[in-house]
Amino acid sequence: MHEFSISSEIVRTVLETTEKNNVKKVLSIQLEIGELTLLNVDQVIFWMNELFKGSIAEGAKIKCKKIKTRIRCEECQYQCDLNLEQGDDHQPLIQYSCPKCGSLQIMIEKGKECILKRIQAVR
Amino acid sequence: MKVIKSKGPEIFDIELEKDLLAKNRLLAKRNRKIFDEKGILAIDIMGSIGSGKTSLIKAILRRLNMGKNVGVIAGDLTTTIDAERIKEEGAQVIQINTSKECHLDANLIQQAIKKMRFEGLKLLFIENVGNLICPGEFPLGAHKRVVVTSVTEGPYTLIKHPYIFRQADVIVLNKIDLARAMKVNPSQLEKDALRINPHAPLIKTNALSGTGIQRVIQSLGLKT
Repeated sequence: MHEFSISSEIVRTVLETTEKNNVKKVLSIQLEIGELTLLNVDQVIFWMNELFKGSIAEGAKIKCKKIKTRIRCEECQYQCDLNLEQGDDHQPLIQYSCPKCGSLQIMIEKGKECILKRIQAVR
Repeated sequence: MKVIKSKGPEIFDIELEKDLLAKNRLLAKRNRKIFDEKGILAIDIMGSIGSGKTSLIKAILRRLNMGKNVGVIAGDLTTTIDAERIKEEGAQVIQINTSKECHLDANLIQQAIKKMRFEGLKLLFIENVGNLICPGEFPLGAHKRVVVTSVTEGPYTLIKHPYIFRQADVIVLNKIDLARAMKVNPSQLEKDALRINPHAPLIKTNALSGTGIQRVIQSLGLKT
């Protein structure tokens, strides 16, 4: 259910931003969500549609792009995107060692974001 | 924020690039800074409903015997039951009622620590809302994270919830005295823990009798 709080935050930000820009109608919203977040994209979109009802963003098209996981090794500074193995439980299993030097000191550079990227609107 | 006009005079794009989870991370960093400045070690206790998070905190407090030098922030949807239970051990307690939210977030912690008395405060436990999913998304600024599960939840809890266990510094397997009755093999859960998070020790406890509590205290770097 944490999708509800995140969706509320997105909706609040969209409506605040569009108000500042004298928007008449919101046409589309572009999101980017990291695959390491625990967000279910379908649920986020469902709540956004619900919360937008009665506002200038009602019926806006919501697009969502997945951000792939990128890691950096603290030891050798090697960086790479990970192709996460999709487990049976639909949760990507993160490998824990650097693919180059085998170190366990891995930092996650990308994949934990929930970005409100762009709003397309009519003035 | 950047506004780009496009596709005729009426339609335009507003470029935001705003990471909404970043706000919580920023507030968590601020909380951490407050803890560091005041010399407080903050420990986030996450875990399933009824796994024994409050009992674990109570058992630790009993051994530490630090009175009001320990603070506890107890998170629950409703009621002050946990706060009342923890108060019995002499710690200062602040209850957060999230009403419908399934997790604590860094903002709620910021509000709660404003109500704390900092003099002499050395240690802070934050008892998260019972949940093995949502709290994993919201760091609070704690230095360490403990995830509590118990044998009564069955043999598959760790492999079903790898995300949250991966974030743990210490994994606690509680109600170990009931393992046989529950037909749960603790060494299998230990193997699962090693595979999911080789960095975190799994400690078998019975929070009610005190079994394993000393090991939890040691692995958190606390002194009795």
